[in-house]
Amino acid sequence: MLRIDNLHVRAGERQILNGLSLEVGAGEVHAIMGPNGSGKSTLAQVLAGREGYEVTAGTVTYRGRDLLALSPEERAREGVFLAFQYPVEIPGVNNVYLLKAGLNAIRKHRGEPELDAFEFLTLVREKMKLMQMDESFLNRGVNEGFSGGEKKRNEILQMAVLEPTLALLDETDSGLDIDALRIVANGVNSLRRPDRSIVMVTHYQRLLDYIEPDYVHVLSGGRIVKSGDKSLALELEKRGYDWIKQEAA
Amino acid sequence: MSSASATQSRPALEHYRTVFERRFAADPLVSERRAALTAFLEQGFPTPRDERWKYTNLRRLETRAFVPGEAAPIAFDPQHAPWIAQAGLRFVFVNGHFAPALSSAQAQLPGVTLVRLADRIKHEPAAACDYLSRASQQPLSSLEQLNAAFFEDGLFVQLAPGTQLDQPIHVVHLWTDQAQLGMSHPRLIVRAGADSRVTLIEQFISTGAVESFTNAVADLALERGAVIDHYRLQEESTKAFHIGHARVAASEQARYALHDLALGASLGRLDLTVYLKEPRAHAELRGLIAPTGSQHLDTHTRIEHIAPHTTSSEEYRGIADGRGRGVFNGKVLVHPGAQKTDAYQATRNLLLSRTAEFDAKPELEIYANDVKCSHGATTGQLDATALFYLRSRGISETDARVLLIRAFAQSVLASVGNAAVREHLDGLLAHRFGSLEVSP
Repeated sequence: MLRIDNLHVRAGERQILNGLSLEVGAGEVHAIMGPNGSGKSTLAQVLAGREGYEVTAGTVTYRGRDLLALSPEERAREGVFLAFQYPVEIPGVNNVYLLKAGLNAIRKHRGEPELDAFEFLTLVREKMKLMQMDESFLNRGVNEGFSGGEKKRNEILQMAVLEPTLALLDETDSGLDIDALRIVANGVNSLRRPDRSIVMVTHYQRLLDYIEPDYVHVLSGGRIVKSGDKSLALELEKRGYDWIKQEAA
Repeated sequence: MSSASATQSRPALEHYRTVFERRFAADPLVSERRAALTAFLEQGFPTPRDERWKYTNLRRLETRAFVPGEAAPIAFDPQHAPWIAQAGLRFVFVNGHFAPALSSAQAQLPGVTLVRLADRIKHEPAAACDYLSRASQQPLSSLEQLNAAFFEDGLFVQLAPGTQLDQPIHVVHLWTDQAQLGMSHPRLIVRAGADSRVTLIEQFISTGAVESFTNAVADLALERGAVIDHYRLQEESTKAFHIGHARVAASEQARYALHDLALGASLGRLDLTVYLKEPRAHAELRGLIAPTGSQHLDTHTRIEHIAPHTTSSEEYRGIADGRGRGVFNGKVLVHPGAQKTDAYQATRNLLLSRTAEFDAKPELEIYANDVKCSHGATTGQLDATALFYLRSRGISETDARVLLIRAFAQSVLASVGNAAVREHLDGLLAHRFGSLEVSP
């Protein structure tokens, strides 16, 4: 599914990723943990195609293709989805419009017919039920005036509608209270499929109680310094990150 | 003093004197006109030395020898008329001349007086003098004097107290190609009686790349509790010169709302002043200034809070592309004694190219101590994060840009109630900023 090999990334003068390698198989859920500033969010952004980062070495192969050669929209149409840590408010563009334009662009790319208004609304209503969202939100501006929890729910709703092959969740748990976290996690769990991989970036172990990962990796100094199963996350929760940094050094 | 510039532009000014004598020597209003001409000639065209004209140089206008536009017979398939179809009572002026065949039938409406100024000048010149009077007694600018000297037609609208006019009054100023450079100095005079209500649409358009000069005056007065919804749609050819002046005087509890669109003209300038004369008078201004190519579009607004408890809310947006240059200067003036004034002003501007420019200048002048005034101005580029967000959902970069630009422009459409107007404005924005590949 996804193979990252020796990835080096710079933003301006700052080297952020420093030889990161990671392989994600179909249907797997990977959690990437690490202290603040370790490069977790940069990894998610670079995979989704955000400008402003310079890849100085390394490769990223996604379903046999060079992912880094694709524009953000091409990646999305090929099935890559990024749930933003800070979803953007875009007044004047309706949620429903964004969902429909995105979905139809992806369907068109796959050679599927575009959905008409009725088919689309039926689909969205079903997914909104899953995320326990009120229909009134559809005609509001994208994330406009949403609470932190609503924004994160909206990200997972978009994921549910766009049906990605590779979902990158960037700190999806941050800023959520326990009820919102449960709804978001339920949403993500219901989207787990044998042909869909999920990479979640998180600072806290808490999210992993709700979305159980197959693998846990620790990112430090721009590289993965330790990998394990979910028990690694529990150990991190207990011992913090320092021992790993020392181990790696 | 301005004597040096007056000397420089003497030949240009002499041109206006010559045209005036040729055209108006036998006009019933010749003495009033001549007084205005003299005032104009004394002041000349404004120059960048005048602070209010700092960003806008009229030299190109000055050096052209415009003459009054010629009436031209034109016919349109009503389906493809260049104006907003079905918008209400329509008055079409072609090159400054009323075109009855293009205008809608004028049935007598109870409580509404509609008079064409040319008719009145011809048949009742004494009464026509009234139309040179105005809602405020402020000194006129030189270009307003030019209008007073040269105005030939336009519309006078009076609403009896309590009259609620459902159909908008739609005034179209259309330019067609002329053998000579044509100019027109139309007037719109509105006297809205107590508790009356009306929607005005002023639409300025051209057929083809006409190099014309419009110098339009609007003079609006709202009596107690009157409501005017004013649309000013400047869609002239990108070779045109468009100068507009609007003065609005609002009495107690009157509400004036403006939707102002500056999309056309090579050089466009609007000076709008609102006088909130009595308590609880309210003004609401929304505008979009969108120069592209080499257009230069300048809007100056001035809201005078004269009485206590008056309120105003103003939001202007600019979108400059190509080598376009936009100017917005919004002044809010709170007079001594105008306590409890509540004024809000915002201007936000978007630059879409490296060579585009926007000068935004909010000004607050406050001479009362118990007021609530706020203003803000921002100028920037399209939000890169928002652009990335949309693209990360599969939307192409082109579409994402169009979506963001349209969303930004859309604010001028907020509170547009009239469906025909809304559809027209939507079309204008789509035409200017692009429509989407992806079906909505």
